[in-house]
Amino acid sequence: MQKVLVVDDSLSVARQLQKIIEGAGDFTFVGHAKNGAEAIKMNHSENPDIICMDMNMPGMDGLTALRSLTVLDKDVKVVMVTSLGGVGDKFAEAIKLGARNVISKPFEAENVLKVLREL
Amino acid sequence: MAVKFFGQFLVEKGVVTRDDLLKAMDLQERKNLKLGEMAMAMGYVTEADINRAHNAQLSKDIRLGDMLVEMGIMTAEQLADVITRQKNTHLYIGEALVLVNAITSEQLQEHLDAFKADQADYAVSGIELPMELANSPLWEMAADLTFKMITRVLGLQYRVGKCRLDAHIAHNFMFAAIDLSGDASFRYLLSVSEGLQKTIAKAILHEDEVDGEPVEVLEDTVMEFINIVCGNVAAKSSQMGKILNIEPPLTIDVPAAGLEVPQDYVALCFPIHAAEGERMELILQIPR
Repeated sequence: MQKVLVVDDSLSVARQLQKIIEGAGDFTFVGHAKNGAEAIKMNHSENPDIICMDMNMPGMDGLTALRSLTVLDKDVKVVMVTSLGGVGDKFAEAIKLGARNVISKPFEAENVLKVLREL
Repeated sequence: MAVKFFGQFLVEKGVVTRDDLLKAMDLQERKNLKLGEMAMAMGYVTEADINRAHNAQLSKDIRLGDMLVEMGIMTAEQLADVITRQKNTHLYIGEALVLVNAITSEQLQEHLDAFKADQADYAVSGIELPMELANSPLWEMAADLTFKMITRVLGLQYRVGKCRLDAHIAHNFMFAAIDLSGDASFRYLLSVSEGLQKTIAKAILHEDEVDGEPVEVLEDTVMEFINIVCGNVAAKSSQMGKILNIEPPLTIDVPAAGLEVPQDYVALCFPIHAAEGERMELILQIPR
């Protein structure tokens, strides 16, 4: 089963994603980081296959963390889960920095699982 | 269920791959000249002029075009000319995808129609401001998207009262705020009554009951709701040609007497009435 790390400053989003991931049956939820810096640490300690990460977070934001993660770990697949997905420049920057996909908030469980399964 | 960028819509639908999109964006970058490059290509400025204007921008936060006019390097008419040429020659992502052979022209038209239908629910409609203000279309759009998200995300039935321009913000059970900056700077505030905080929590957490939830989780759901709204406002705003940056959401402690709006600002207040006396208010705190 692929291991998934969730990165979001919002407790409620992390809970939603945890529920979706655990309920799917084919993924393992390995933890929740609240900002980009924690994500880099937890990527090292938990060694996830997939990271679902917000863009707009206090401290290190999602795009800065994405830039580091794609250099530090060539294997990890990062999907941005963000309310800023519809902003063309942000979407383009995320894809160029190596994000595998971008999911806009509000999201639906089926859409999240479809994206994760297609990685 | 959100305001989208056309490229994102196509990837999400599986019409194009991430690699197709990267190729098309690369082509866009090569073909679409930035304002300074276009002004140079049209012979209005030199590279040295652009460098001088960039340096001046370090001490004054205005756009390059406005700086070039302010420094007397270009006239306002020439700037308008450059912007028009940029618009007329702009290579859009759909066209770029055709040029890199990711889709055909016929498919582009078909998917553009589907995209317009998908986004039709986010067209701005029917908001009346109490007076004409700078950036009125932006405030109308922010209010309109808020109401649409209340319906779509929260599934709430409500009635919007008349919009007021206030110098005082009335107390409510909880306030969540997001600061936005860029082509327009303002604070987006949403105040909610206790019952509506629970309604929002149920919708965001997808739970039938939230009575046992800690206060920080309940507050977090309201912050997440405004984060969703403001992200979509930023997306819609970028389609309108205005770039907005959004800060992470925060909660604000408001005394029982309410809050005075800072002197340099006015508050556009939209009262939102739900069933059984529950109330929320959208407040856009904008510069005078």
